[in-house]
Parts: sequence; structure tokens; C-alpha cells
Amino acid sequence: MTPSDPIAAPHVWTRRQVLSGLAVAAAGAAGLWGFREWQKPTLTAETFIGAAASYDRDLSDVMSRGFRELGVTSDEIKGKRILLKPNLVETSEQATHINTHPLVVRAAAEAFLRLGAQRVVVAEGPGHRRDTLAVLEESGLESVLYEDRIPFLDINYMEGIVVPNAGGRSPLRSLTFPALLRDTDWIVSVAKLKTHHWAGVTLSMKNLFGLMPGRYYGWPKNALHVAGIQECIVDIVATAKPHFAIIDGIVGMEGDGPIMGTPREAGVLIMGRNCTAVDATAARVMQINPHRVEYLKEAEDWLGPVTESRIMQRGEAILSVQKPFELVEAIPSQAGLRLS
Amino acid sequence: MDSIRVAMNSVEERTVSKGGFALRQGGHEQPDATAWACVLLAAARRSLPQVESGYARLAALQADDGRVSVDPGHVETIWPTALAVLAWRSSSAYGQQCERAARYLLETSGAHWPQFPRSPLAHDTYILGWGWTEGGHAWVEPTAMAVMALRALGRDTHLRVRSGVALLLNRQLSRGGWNYGNTRVFGAELRPNVESTGMALHALAGLVALHEVERSLDYLRERIDRLSTPLSLGWGVLGLQAWEEPVEHLEDRVGDCLRRQEYVGPYDTPALSLVLLPLVRSWPLWRGGQA
Repeated sequence: MTPSDPIAAPHVWTRRQVLSGLAVAAAGAAGLWGFREWQKPTLTAETFIGAAASYDRDLSDVMSRGFRELGVTSDEIKGKRILLKPNLVETSEQATHINTHPLVVRAAAEAFLRLGAQRVVVAEGPGHRRDTLAVLEESGLESVLYEDRIPFLDINYMEGIVVPNAGGRSPLRSLTFPALLRDTDWIVSVAKLKTHHWAGVTLSMKNLFGLMPGRYYGWPKNALHVAGIQECIVDIVATAKPHFAIIDGIVGMEGDGPIMGTPREAGVLIMGRNCTAVDATAARVMQINPHRVEYLKEAEDWLGPVTESRIMQRGEAILSVQKPFELVEAIPSQAGLRLS
Repeated sequence: MDSIRVAMNSVEERTVSKGGFALRQGGHEQPDATAWACVLLAAARRSLPQVESGYARLAALQADDGRVSVDPGHVETIWPTALAVLAWRSSSAYGQQCERAARYLLETSGAHWPQFPRSPLAHDTYILGWGWTEGGHAWVEPTAMAVMALRALGRDTHLRVRSGVALLLNRQLSRGGWNYGNTRVFGAELRPNVESTGMALHALAGLVALHEVERSLDYLRERIDRLSTPLSLGWGVLGLQAWEEPVEHLEDRVGDCLRRQEYVGPYDTPALSLVLLPLVRSWPLWRGGQA
């Protein structure tokens, strides 16, 4: 970054924070700025559950209703540059439930544009395949984005900006995010409702592994696995500070997720401003105890609430949409997660 | 074909003033973009001054221990080292840099450990290969690239190359093909992908018998006509060609792939160079700069 570069992302990092990340050895002073922001614990939050029996429904309408319930208004979104981060991992003709459905991404883009967003881009750094364009094409997202004239950006090959790790749960002293975040006002995790064989579940927080460029973290992003998956989930969220989360639970995945599990219809979209609360609600929809999910235990009452009484539930009641997602007891991260 | 000429010109135009090539026009120089552009343009005998400056730029990026990283702030990202060797091997002036890179590759391995009896991972975690980053586990693509680089320097029979070959064979899926490098996890066999399969087959050609990889060639043969993206098509073609299997209508296929840029936007330099490479270079990457 040159001195003439605009400071384009006040909601993400200041120029000072980014520069401080380049010299992580001296990260203490500047890095603490971001860290202190997160020392104010988020004790309450609201989440919205919208019923959507299939992808044929008017999903944009469901999302707009969620925005209204959550107080997301055109005053807040007007002029904002929105980054939608879907969950694209790999593709299989027999397993379309691996990835965030293209029509959910379309609905999210429409809902933000309807509120006056200046720009919506979709960006992802798939963790398993270097051929992101193939994943984009085979998932069906390419044709949807082309029809809607929504740009797609491949995070894996983007130049990085180094930021001090504001979470401090893993041994990583800094995290390298795509430079795209300098030009982003709102980061929106558009995740999938899935079980996961290493993390127990993969929802809006784990989805943000895809913000980390493969050219720095590899394929798979093994550097994050070595540093601790659960800890890195918390670190990435604490540092990236996402603004909103949407989970595609119309058809999710149960069993041996995130790629080899079986489809599970839950018929819901789950939304909220706080990723921890959204993931806790999503876990309950899957009849999973969020207090037993390691990364949610780490995040609780710091990044957001997990306890049900601290999450104001809008839209459908959890009990009315709850579906027991199959868990594999032989997989250690899934053992004992069932909500009794 | 016009689209191919335009694409070659596009790669040339991505040179940056301090030497090397950017991922996209107007971007900063990146070592992988530089290496792939040099491999392509040297094979096509085009833009030789820019190619020379690319070699020099890669040499300037090489650390004292021989590694070439994505950028100086990320010294742990060692995967461009093998790519740099493949680029330098198109010139006779960078023998010293190649040797330093080879020494680094031979002294470096991905993290490995004895296979636990009840490990959820089916592959042999103890075989030495190469990872994307220093300290990471060994994976298929960085191992295949390191095997190619060391072969390009005449180390075909080195113990580490033999170990890399063993790793690749161990990570081959039972139904054919490779993915990034996991075979079975918690008892489920994972799916292959074309780019990893093509790269592994390209690296293994001439080192293993046909019957050892026949099922993966079958996978590629079955997929090749449906590929439209540059990484998959490029590595798919290179994988088959290394085993002397022709790909029909190659120029048309590449032309179709290039035209997709009209709606997905310009391909990055490594992808663009890769998909063009089979049109200008008929010998494998591990054979160095000469046919």
C-alpha cells in the first residue's frame, strides 16, 4: 500500500492497523486498538429464522423480512460496499448440498441492493480446489451471477494485507486477509447449515476460513489447521469483524460434513448481525448443543452470546423448525453434541 | 486463431517495470505469475527481454537458503520455489539459482508423522513430500511440482524424488484421480479433481508404470471433454500428453476456454499461461527448457 492509497474500510481496519500488521513484532501498540474494541463483550443479540420450504420460494422476500425484523434499514445500507462470502468448497453432481445454494446468494444480493447498497460483490477462496472457476461454474453460481451482473472475485489469488491477530486464541500472531477488505464496508458470511468432521459444525463463523487466501495458507488451508481449527475460527472472526450472517438451511448437510455428508432439509434461512448468536441458533435448529461446540465456547460472551435467553429470537421459533441433524459418534468433534 | 494470439499478447503485457509479471494487468509482480509467464513465453520464443527480466526478478526474490516465497513478508509460503526452477530451466544463465533452490527443496519436507493405528486419515502420513507452507503437511500439488523441478535438474533418482513419487501413489484415490491430498477421512473416500490429477500424472510420467496410474488416466479421459476452465483444462491436457495421449481439437478447446473470459473476466497470468502452454510446448515441464 502506498501513502496515496485511500483509507477505504473504516469498519474493517484502519491504515494504521494494517501497517502495524506488516511489522508484527511491533504489533503490540497498534494491534491493541482492535483488541480493545473486542474487549467490550457482546452479551445479547437478535437472530431471525425465516421459513423457506424450497429454493423456489421468493428468498429475497424472506431476507428482506429478516432485515426489517433485525433493524437493517436503507439508512444503514445505502452507499455501502457489500461483500457476500458464500461457502464454496468443491462440487459433485450428486452432492449439490455441499455449497451455499446460488439462489440464496442471489437473494442476498437483491436484498442488499434493494436497500441501496452501492455495490455487491461475491468473493470466495475455496479450501479444497485451486480451480475456483470450476467450482463457480459447477456449483451453478457462475450463471446466476452473470445473469444478475454481480461480480465474483477469487480470494485465493488475491494479494494479502497482514493484520495483527485480534483473537489471540491460536499461536498465529497475525492473519493475512485479502486486500479486497480495504474496499469493503460490510462483510456478510453467507454460509451453509452443515455438520463438520473437524469442527463439529460449519456455519457462519467457520465459513470465514474462505476469507484467507490460499496463496498464503495453501489448499487445504493447512496452516490454520496446524494452528488449531477451533482457535482459528475465533481468531478470524475476532479480527475480520463480520457485519452480518446468513445461513442457508433450506437443504443442509448432516453426518460426515462438510463434503461427504447427506442432505438434510431444514427449510430455513437464519440471519443476524452477530455471527456467534447466529451459529448458536443454527446449532439449536440442528438439535445440537451450542455450548458443546468448541469454537462457540471460546466465543461465548466475548464475540457474542450463546445462551438462549440472551438471544432475542425473531421470525420462526426454534422449536417449530428444529430437525435433529445426524451426528457421527465415531467422529470426536461430533460426539456428545446432541441437544437433549 | 485470433483469441490465442490475443491471449499470448495479454500475458506479455502483464510485465511490470521493475521486472517480472503481475497476476493481472496493472497489478504488482508476483512470483507465480512471473514463473508461469516465463515458462510460456520462453517456449513460444516471444518477448525474450521481458522473460530475461522475469528470470532476474525471480533470482532477486530468492532467499539465501534457496527458497522463493510469495512475498518477503511471508517467507513461510515456499511453494513458488519449484515453479521458479521450472522457469529458470528455460535459460542457461541461472544454474546457480537452480542449484540453491534444489538444495532447499531437498532439505525441506512437509510435516510428517507415524501413522496412528486409529487415525481418521487413511493416507500414510510418514512419507516425505512437500507442503504449500513451511511446517505444513505434504500435499499433492506442491509435491508434484517439487518432483517436476528436481527432475528438471536431473535428480530423477534422488531419494527425495522417489519419496515424492511414493507419496503421490499413496494419495491416489482407489477409484482413480487425485484431490488436494486426502484419500479417505473417517472411512469415506473423497472425490478427485482434474487439476490435481493432471499435475500428479504429469509429474509421474516416466517414473512409474502405466498400470499404476491407469485408473487416474481413465478419470481424466472421462472428464477431459467437459472441461472449460483454464486450470482444469491446462492440467488435464498436460496430464494426458505426458502419457502420450493426444487431446483432440486442442486449439478449439483452448479457444473456447479463452472466450469464457468475456463473461467471467480476465484469467490470472498463471491460469492463462497454463492453458496456452500445450499449444507451444510439446515436451514435459520436467524436461527443462529444451525439447
